[in-house]
Amino acid sequence: MTIGHEAFTFVRELVRAESAIVLEPGKEYLVESRLVPLARQGGHKDVDAFVAELSTRRNPAAMRLVVEALTTNETSWFRDTDPFTALRQTVFPALAKTRSKREIRVWAAACSSGQEPYSILMTAQDTPELSGWKVDMLATDLSLEMLERARKGEYSQLEVNRGLPATTLVRHFERLGLGWRISPALAAQVQFRQLNLMRPFPAMGKFDVIFLRNVLIYFDLATKRDILRRVRQVLAPDGHLFLGAAEMTMGVDDAWERVPAGRSSVYRIREEQRTCVP
Amino acid sequence: MRALIVDDSRAMRRIVGRILVDAGFEILEAGDGQEALDVLAAQGGDLPVLACVDWNMPVMDGLTFITQVRKQVEWRSITLMMVTTESEQDRIVRALAAGAHEYLIKPFTGDALVEKLDLLGLLPTTVGDHS
Amino acid sequence: MTLYSAPDQALLHAAVEQVWGSMLFEAADPWPADVPADFETGLQAHIEIRGGWNGRLLLTCNSDVAAQIAAALLGMGPDETVDELDVHDAVGEVLNVVGGSVKGAIDGAMTLGLPGVRASASPPSSEESLVVSWRGSPVHVQIVPDAEGL
Ligand SMILES: C[S@@+](CC[C@H](N)C(=O)[O-])C[C@H]1O[C@@H](n2cnc3c(N)ncnc32)[C@H](O)[C@@H]1O
Repeated sequence: MTIGHEAFTFVRELVRAESAIVLEPGKEYLVESRLVPLARQGGHKDVDAFVAELSTRRNPAAMRLVVEALTTNETSWFRDTDPFTALRQTVFPALAKTRSKREIRVWAAACSSGQEPYSILMTAQDTPELSGWKVDMLATDLSLEMLERARKGEYSQLEVNRGLPATTLVRHFERLGLGWRISPALAAQVQFRQLNLMRPFPAMGKFDVIFLRNVLIYFDLATKRDILRRVRQVLAPDGHLFLGAAEMTMGVDDAWERVPAGRSSVYRIREEQRTCVP
Repeated sequence: MRALIVDDSRAMRRIVGRILVDAGFEILEAGDGQEALDVLAAQGGDLPVLACVDWNMPVMDGLTFITQVRKQVEWRSITLMMVTTESEQDRIVRALAAGAHEYLIKPFTGDALVEKLDLLGLLPTTVGDHS
Repeated sequence: MTLYSAPDQALLHAAVEQVWGSMLFEAADPWPADVPADFETGLQAHIEIRGGWNGRLLLTCNSDVAAQIAAALLGMGPDETVDELDVHDAVGEVLNVVGGSVKGAIDGAMTLGLPGVRASASPPSSEESLVVSWRGSPVHVQIVPDAEGL
């Protein structure tokens, strides 16, 4: 059995509104299969019943789960807030004390439509310790479509509503038709490139901060382990790695240790492992 | 926690109200800025922590309401968020300068409103699950 | 182009799609050209835009469509009915949000009026309006610039 027309339309419009991803007709099967676990968890008899309740109750938490189940590009400004607070209050100030060249290098390793690298740059601008510093920002993703969107820096009204403080919106964006465009000054600071995390990394030097958020979840254990091992080789020995809230290194690659940073945590290469890094 | 919703559209008050109820708020409503000032005055010391305010309304618009609220020292604790279809950059700047803390542009999704509450520190941490 | 000097149908359609998608959870597909967009009696919502461009937006639809739009906006189940006052209010608010989006995309200092809604029995002309499909029924959305010299 596949999902009914009404339920499919509701889900398609919800996903389009939240993520700008379009589920074409014909994707009914995909929607059905991704939502079955959520419907079961909620004790519904099938996906149609689950969606029918969703469309009348409009519970934001449940709606978000649906969007996340259906998109692999899901992202938002300052996603989860805490990692960015940790950057500004802990990580950037620590780096500012140790980098004599007044330059730091950051890699957003699964940047999706660009909200993550732009949020990192905005955070750097809000960090007094980094005033006058150069932030070298590399942003990569597997999806060329996402990279193109990120490079353009054009976001719909719905996208800028999500997670972006109003003061930040008026400071870093300008109106463009119905939507908004990131300021050219900010866009020019990011280098966007395609990179598949499953393949060996190209030569790119070492980074002080790496964001590898909400992407390891898509890989099996062996792939996760391999990626984390290779990430160690491109992170400065005293660098900082950020993972998604549902991701961790424990039991995957134990050369990492988890260090609290504000209300969030960052991963660092264990002291005894740092010397082994080529 | 209580929230005041100021909007001339009953439908919009219901939509915003439902999201806020889900986030753990009790709701007060007003159909324009003047009515909202009266509602606040009637609360005495037991003020709502949040007001969600439309811009274009009859009798008194949202910008004037915000300006009035900011003139009252005893209302200083109320967090003010514009929820409006007014979406030009200079409107947002004006509302923030008048004392609004946040600005949500219509159309919005429930998630976006919840994220704004999170930015304002008005979500119990269990609701703003950081996944 | 960063901003428009006057609204056109493409801008209007994009605004309608955005509002329907995010608040009504429906698509706003264009009405097929070869099917007559019938209108009997229903509602017409209007809202004024003033500034560098002056005119009104109109939204016209049959009564049952208006009731469905209201139910969708309010997230009501198929068995619940929306009273007439709420239908007017909901349809007016939908046009208000469309109008605000359109206005925000136009260059210069602009103001948006308050929406009004009234019963209407005169069919809008399809040539001048954008007709979109609401669950298989037509909804007319029009841009009406002020007449010259007014
Ligand atoms: C859920 S998004 C996460 C975006 C962002 N890091 C965040 O946390 O908001 C996952 C991203 O990973 C990208 N991705 C998936 N597989 C990948 C791979 N093998 N190599 C690089 N990127 C990949 C997808 O294209 C998508 O943009």
